[in-house]
Amino acid sequence: MSKYVLRRIGQAVLVLWAAYTVTFAILYLLPGDPVALMLSANNIEVDSLTAQEREVAAARLGLDRPLWEQYFGMLGAALRGDFGTSFAKGIPVTELLAQRLPSTLALSVVAVVLALVFGVAIALIATWLPRGRVSNLLRRVPAVGVSVPNFWIGLLLIQVFAFTLGWFPAMGSEGWQSYVLPAVTMAIPTAAVLAQVLTRSFDDTLGEAYITTARAKGLSRFDVQLRHAFRNAALPTLTILGLLVGATVTGSIVVETVFSRNGVGRLAQESVLQQDFPVVQAIVVLAAAAFVIVNLVVDLLYPLLDPRIARTPKVTRA
Amino acid sequence: MRTTHRYRTPALAALAAASVVMMAGCATGGSPSSSAAPENDPVAGGELTIEFWPDNAAFACVDPFQTYWIEHRQVIRNVADSLTDQNPETGEIVPWLATDWEISGDALTYTFNLRDDVTFSDGTPFTADSVVLALQSAKDTLEAVPGAYGGVYIAGLDSATAVDSDTVEVHFATPNAAFLQGTSTTNLAILAASSYDATPEERCLGDVVGSGSFVLDQYTPGDGIDLSKRDGYNWASELNDHQGEAYLDAVHINYVAEDSVRVGNLASGASDIAWPRAPFTPEDSALLTSSGATIESRSLPGPSSAYYPNVSEGHILAEKAVRDALQIAIDRETYAATIYGEDYPVVQGAFDTTTPFFVSQADALAYDPERAGEILDDAGWVLEDGADYRTRDGETLSLVAPITAETPGDVLLQDQLKQVGIQLVLSVYQPADRATITAEGKYDLLATYYTRADPGVLAWILDERVAGSKAFAANAQEAETAKTVQQLFDNGVQETDPEARADYYAELQELLISDGISFPIFERVQLAATASDVHGFRFTSESFLSYYDIWKSGE
Repeated sequence: MSKYVLRRIGQAVLVLWAAYTVTFAILYLLPGDPVALMLSANNIEVDSLTAQEREVAAARLGLDRPLWEQYFGMLGAALRGDFGTSFAKGIPVTELLAQRLPSTLALSVVAVVLALVFGVAIALIATWLPRGRVSNLLRRVPAVGVSVPNFWIGLLLIQVFAFTLGWFPAMGSEGWQSYVLPAVTMAIPTAAVLAQVLTRSFDDTLGEAYITTARAKGLSRFDVQLRHAFRNAALPTLTILGLLVGATVTGSIVVETVFSRNGVGRLAQESVLQQDFPVVQAIVVLAAAAFVIVNLVVDLLYPLLDPRIARTPKVTRA
Repeated sequence: MRTTHRYRTPALAALAAASVVMMAGCATGGSPSSSAAPENDPVAGGELTIEFWPDNAAFACVDPFQTYWIEHRQVIRNVADSLTDQNPETGEIVPWLATDWEISGDALTYTFNLRDDVTFSDGTPFTADSVVLALQSAKDTLEAVPGAYGGVYIAGLDSATAVDSDTVEVHFATPNAAFLQGTSTTNLAILAASSYDATPEERCLGDVVGSGSFVLDQYTPGDGIDLSKRDGYNWASELNDHQGEAYLDAVHINYVAEDSVRVGNLASGASDIAWPRAPFTPEDSALLTSSGATIESRSLPGPSSAYYPNVSEGHILAEKAVRDALQIAIDRETYAATIYGEDYPVVQGAFDTTTPFFVSQADALAYDPERAGEILDDAGWVLEDGADYRTRDGETLSLVAPITAETPGDVLLQDQLKQVGIQLVLSVYQPADRATITAEGKYDLLATYYTRADPGVLAWILDERVAGSKAFAANAQEAETAKTVQQLFDNGVQETDPEARADYYAELQELLISDGISFPIFERVQLAATASDVHGFRFTSESFLSYYDIWKSGE
């Protein structure tokens, strides 16, 4: 088991390195010269500089060294937790992320919790009710949740709950009230996906023989669902949890823009458009780390939830 | 059975983020009006909340000398004072930190006499040395950060010397008649010595100590800015309605990305002033006025929002006849009314009407599709039966205009040109690609603008010797014309007699339109909505907002 964990951690490190390297390659292969970009941030174009001025600018950004030297220099610094300085914002990237991460993290956690609550509730009720109008309606709601654009839901919520009713602020990140609308906006598509997957696996699980046995023993529908079906039905849902973490990263981009929140999502969008290399590099590594960690946790949880996996006899070579 | 692990490439996910298309608010106008004079006297106290569009993602900077972003400059206007102030109505330069000044006949030496009762918010006194330090720091910053915006104002600056504690001499190597106006701008605002000890980067992020009526407490890029009242302030320029301290205790600025949220917050009372970049849509204007808000407006001084051509060899616009036809194929009246609303001013030339020395070119810009068609026919660009666009020797009359995001205005213009058989191809690019597009000349028309209350600022777009983009300037005009244009810029900046300057700038404005160097599309108007309890709203000469006279009446 410990060997398995070590191997998984080794893979995780490999994935992070690959993410870093691929990003570096993409950023440096993009048309566009970082010196020119820094200057156009200043409303000036590189062709109007003398060669000497250009060198000064390149040296300030550390872009005067050969590409491989820059790569290893940056990678080494990144391992020490130093991702350089943002071109556009002029402050160290780690400091920038430290400012922006807490708000995005808190928002994501609230959104994922809401998504779990709503997603699981819809699936439970839809499958617990006998097939009929209400059950069918509940089975169709997720499709709507997935298809409606996120920014539109956000604007609609603002219109109703901020401008008309005045219950929650339309923007900013002060107090718990400011989390409500953006978290709900972020949770809707995620909850919809969860509900869809969970409903399907409930339907599959409830058709299995051991459920028939449980019912024969006289257990109520609800007991059967919660005690017997839920654990098995939840397995596929756990698998997509990793993907949902990714969805919150992209979701935060839209939501933070609509709700004027100063988080990592908006930072990602701005930095990609501005080709702010150091920031994009750091955010990619951060997102990759989130993916890797969530997947690792899911993998390690699987054997605990599903004895069939834990007890699979190992095939060893003689 | 093993579970499979799905890793999606995070790099791709991050790049996919780039494709998230943000809703670009479409623009438009409101009715110009001014705050109704309240019956009662101003009351001190209270806090003001202003909502701007998003912060500058490319350059988070509130250093007066470096920043070009008009919202940052507005905040600086209230935090740091300048040597002079400019009357928005007349363009006249009036005393502020300087009580009076002399300009030598050759425009090489400026002598300023200074107030002796001014202090910076850190308690240090404002003296001639402060001005010397500010100008020296400007030169140093320009070396460290090539192309820093303030460089526009100190062309030819040699040195500054303190004659005594309240007299300073500024020496130029080449004449600079625009410098006096430059001293009234935020970019040449004077800061305390402590700010100049900081690095240009530190100043950008809020290390700005000035002598203004407000103190900058905190700048959080992308989030907002907090200002508090400067105690003991008593040196406002004569252009203000009162003297002494500002009325407001504090001003809070928030960056709000969505136009609809900014408008909704003002209408629902969550903010006091909505300050957009693009004019309000007619719907938003209606919502605002029905909520009791007042809509203020003033044209931004400097070049109007215009397309500049690429007339280099091999491009269609190298042909003067096509430029002549294009200039009168644009229906600017319809553009203003359709895109920005009935009351929106129609652009009248290469500059907005609030620019000093402005001369209307409305006649030369009058919409005349028949005449445009005749010019093109004579030049051999003919419209075959059933064809949408004119052709000549198998080549289609097609112009490429790179844009950052498609707006209703772009589509309207496309349609107007189609009426005379010109195809306008709108190609969307990312801000990061602009330098490449310009350098490689991959365009026929490209838009740009600048905000400064002096026509000479156009040199930074069109005069190859100083332009932000040499390629853009060189592409915009034929070599011969460029010489004439440069001469006019030189004359305008070296001539100290206002009447002679006016003549040079009038000639320049006529040439820009008649030769097809500038294709004005619309007047750039700064709009703002103020809640009903906000009084004392005043635009500066650069169409920024002065917070100094603003006061709030009790609810």
